[in-house]
Amino acid sequence: MKAYVAKKVLSLPLIIFGVSIIVFIAIRALPGDPARLMAGPEAPQEAVDSMRVRLGLDQPLPLQYVKFAAEALHGNLGLSLQSQRPVMTEISERLPYTLSLAALAYLLAIAIGVPAGMTGAIYRQRIPDQIVMVLTIAGASIANFWLALLAMNYFAVELGWLPLLGADSWKNYIMPTVTLAILPMAMIARMTRSSMLDVLSQDYIRTAKAKGLSSASINWKHALRNALIPIVTIVALNFGSLIGGAVVTESVFNWPGIGRLLVDSVRYRDYPVIQGVTLVAVTGVVLMNLVGEILIGLLNPKIRFD
Amino acid sequence: MESKNKHFKVLTLAGCLLASMASASVFASQLVIMQNEPPRSMDPGNQTATFTGTVLDPMYEGLTRLGDDGKIIPALALSWTSDDSGLNWTFTLRPNVKFHDGTPFNADAVVENFQRHLNTQRGLAGSGKIRTFIQDVKKKDDLTVTFQLKKINPAFLTVLASGPGLMVSPKADKAGSINNKADGTGPYKLVQYKSGEYVLEQKNPDYWGKSSGPDEIKWTWSSEPSVMNMALQSGQVDIINPVPPQFAGMLKNNANVNLKQSPGAAVFWVDLNTQSKALSDVRVRQALNFATDQQALVKAIMFGYAQPANSALAPVDPNYDKSLHDYPYDLQKAKDLLKAAGYADGFPMSIAVQAPDARTAQVLQGMWSKIGVKLNVRQMESGVWTKAAFADGKEKAAQGTDAVLASWSSGLYGSDLQLRPLYHTSSFAPGGANLGFFSDKQTDDLIDTAASTLDDAKRKDLYFQAQKQISGLAPQVLLFYQDDLYAARKNISGVVMQPGGQIVVRDAVKQ
Amino acid sequence: MNSIDTSVLPPRSRSRHLISTLLANPSIAIGGALVLLVVLAAALAPLITHWDPVEQDLLNTLQAPSAAHWFGTDDYGRDIFSRVIYGARITLFEVSLSVAISMVIGIPLGIISGLAGRKMDALIMWVMDIIFAFPGIVLAILIVSVLGEGLTNMLIAISLFSIPVYARLSRNLTLGLKNMEYIEAAHMLGVRYPRIITHYILRNSIGPLIVQSTLTAGAVVLSAASLSFLGLGVQPPMPEWGTMMSDGRNFLGLNIYVSLFPGLAILITVLGFNVLGDGLRDVMDKRL
Repeated sequence: MKAYVAKKVLSLPLIIFGVSIIVFIAIRALPGDPARLMAGPEAPQEAVDSMRVRLGLDQPLPLQYVKFAAEALHGNLGLSLQSQRPVMTEISERLPYTLSLAALAYLLAIAIGVPAGMTGAIYRQRIPDQIVMVLTIAGASIANFWLALLAMNYFAVELGWLPLLGADSWKNYIMPTVTLAILPMAMIARMTRSSMLDVLSQDYIRTAKAKGLSSASINWKHALRNALIPIVTIVALNFGSLIGGAVVTESVFNWPGIGRLLVDSVRYRDYPVIQGVTLVAVTGVVLMNLVGEILIGLLNPKIRFD
Repeated sequence: MESKNKHFKVLTLAGCLLASMASASVFASQLVIMQNEPPRSMDPGNQTATFTGTVLDPMYEGLTRLGDDGKIIPALALSWTSDDSGLNWTFTLRPNVKFHDGTPFNADAVVENFQRHLNTQRGLAGSGKIRTFIQDVKKKDDLTVTFQLKKINPAFLTVLASGPGLMVSPKADKAGSINNKADGTGPYKLVQYKSGEYVLEQKNPDYWGKSSGPDEIKWTWSSEPSVMNMALQSGQVDIINPVPPQFAGMLKNNANVNLKQSPGAAVFWVDLNTQSKALSDVRVRQALNFATDQQALVKAIMFGYAQPANSALAPVDPNYDKSLHDYPYDLQKAKDLLKAAGYADGFPMSIAVQAPDARTAQVLQGMWSKIGVKLNVRQMESGVWTKAAFADGKEKAAQGTDAVLASWSSGLYGSDLQLRPLYHTSSFAPGGANLGFFSDKQTDDLIDTAASTLDDAKRKDLYFQAQKQISGLAPQVLLFYQDDLYAARKNISGVVMQPGGQIVVRDAVKQ
Repeated sequence: MNSIDTSVLPPRSRSRHLISTLLANPSIAIGGALVLLVVLAAALAPLITHWDPVEQDLLNTLQAPSAAHWFGTDDYGRDIFSRVIYGARITLFEVSLSVAISMVIGIPLGIISGLAGRKMDALIMWVMDIIFAFPGIVLAILIVSVLGEGLTNMLIAISLFSIPVYARLSRNLTLGLKNMEYIEAAHMLGVRYPRIITHYILRNSIGPLIVQSTLTAGAVVLSAASLSFLGLGVQPPMPEWGTMMSDGRNFLGLNIYVSLFPGLAILITVLGFNVLGDGLRDVMDKRL
């Protein structure tokens, strides 16, 4: 177990290093003067010159990267061209909105997905299962912004039940949460169903062998473990897909999170923000993946010996 | 004993909290207005956007002010006189006025305000209006200022009432903070400018005059028409301006909302880059005009809340020529002109637009494709768009900007301030708003002569000639005059609309 | 499932047998039918609708569905049904190109990784892991911000983030096959690597790779639609389904058809690919 965890943790910096290189190169690959790009089209010449020094553009590329990485590690991601505020501030102001939405979406996904998956497994091949199967595959095939538009059209405008603007009251959370929860819900239901099927098939064998012995307590622990695995897998190992979903969901609902910040910053060509958000988001995803892999290793010993 | 004490303390604390909350809700009335773009700057002299003017209006004042009936009334100046030539004016200033930061308002402040616009090194966006006709501004004594004009401008007093004429605190201007932190003499002062979200203004307790408006004014914005619509219908905001025309009908039917419509002063057009190869030929520009079905455009984009534009001046302008009608919709004529110019198969061109105008550009794309013109629509955020629109000839050539979709409203400032910044040779971008580098000596002469003509009839005639001249040379494709459309909740009153889309809310009442 | 040893059948019957096995699976049948529907719509577009997908009719904007316009008209008066049908062409183009590029780059990388030494394997997989760490949309956004918006750049971005899947898959398949006796035997007999790859490895990997391609296809459709919806992909007036839906945002409460039908088309297409992929995977698992 320790070796497994160690191996996973050690690979982390390498991945983050690689991610940072891609982000670093992407901005350098732009046509034009990087100093001008990072200072903004409207900045006076002195600002561009000081940016040039800050980026170390007259130095060899590897040194530039070191500067960039060192600053990033200290939380200095530069200034937003649009607002002239530190990128880190822009991100930290919006991160709670994204994380709260994500957390609620996951809770909803688990609350509905797990029972649905279990129902499907218990009533295997019969009507409830078929319904679950159809719904899960539909859920994974739907464009979530389509549902968002339909929901906004009916619940916000036609019926006036829910607001289109704002992010602070519980009413504001309903539509974005449901929208974001659809895909993880489908995936959790699917995985719960299949792991439940595993449990049930083993149960049959055991019951047959024990001939009437109550195996309730054994099943509990086993069932719980099996229920947690899909949840951890989808929540932690598929965190990337949630971030992707959040980007689109936040844009549709004008949710003040980092997903919408990223999209807006592309329109503004606000490169420091694009760079900063990408770094933070992907680092978050990689960390969640790591946590997920460790947890899975704990729950399912078979996986450790990959 | 001890617990009783504790209980008592808790109760008093709770009581105080409740009382303060109650008093807060009873006393602090807040008016919330939503527009469709963020303010460009907190400095009225460094921007020319109508919807920034609305935000700054409660916080700033000029020597004069536009009364509710559109007439000039005294504001920071008590009175004024001019000599017979009309070129030398003397203003007596209001005493005991302070800027929000405490700096006293006096002749020195006025001089500094105007000098910063006359200073060609500064490059403030609003200076154009000042520099075209003001020669110099001098202090006579602490409360008296003299103006020397280069030429007569019938709109002089109106220019003093807004934009670059608004007085900013010289201290804030020198410190460079004025762009982000408003500092004027108005009945409201800036409390918070949360970038990207809202501007919050609060009543200025030291204001020299009376203000009957709400305690707080909050400005917010959304580029999405659906959001603006629902924000008003749900009561989350009190006023929206401008109303997205597609929702005007829905709002009219809402019993809690009042829709206010008036003929607008904003002219929407496509500015053609006359330095672009194809567009340098007047026949090509005329062809584009003939290929534009204005009626269909008005119906599809503005849902009827606009008038097709036939002239560079808007109908509210006293010198507007109603009879001008050079370009009825005629596809065949357009094609013939293109053929004569050597573009029988059409040509490609690109246009820079802001998000709210993207649909208009796409309609034009469809219309002009019928004569073979392939229009590439480049949609940009307002900052990027401003850069592209006001770029000089070289930049535009490098970026391939053949056209810009823009609007201009000179409101009540008169014909000179509508025609000069857009069509005069001296107004080439980036210094002025002649985005397409249109240059015609005859037009220049007409504009210049009209500006210094005192006789109304003679002036009107000159402007008629100018409109005809400009129309014939087609430096732009005129689109429409947008109606001024704003909507407010039923319990709001006291809002005034100035032609051009600038609403004045400083005296609004929220019941 | 079936007890016939298919390898002893003559070739023709083998393929017929394969087809009937495949079609017997309901997922393949349904999924295949949906995908076929989209393909036919794209191919036969001019026969299905006489309306031009980009022609504007400004006096008839935002009409509800009617006999003349089966899905109604959008805010430029264009026929929505026609735009959905022609949009299928764009979608299929996106899918084919993107999947093709991902496979052409990813599969060789995976095979090399599987056959080469540990260091090369580690290096290639490290690069793949990095790309894989990015949520697809985030990587696409980064690339579009560098290259600019538009269909081509969007496809480059989408192809890029799908490469690791194929690389990893073909690497694992290669690793699994590499140790099989008959490959070792072939190697010892002097058969060179290229032939080993084409003859043995690819042939035996085709099944899982095809399954993966159908699943990636669905992801491509959704990613492309999302990016276009955000304004970062296909630009107007091209009738891409995601772009069409972004128009609908400005008319909430006035007209839902502008967004409804393109979204439905996306659902049908992605569902088709996903169901088909599921079915193929089931058949594949049973045969192994």
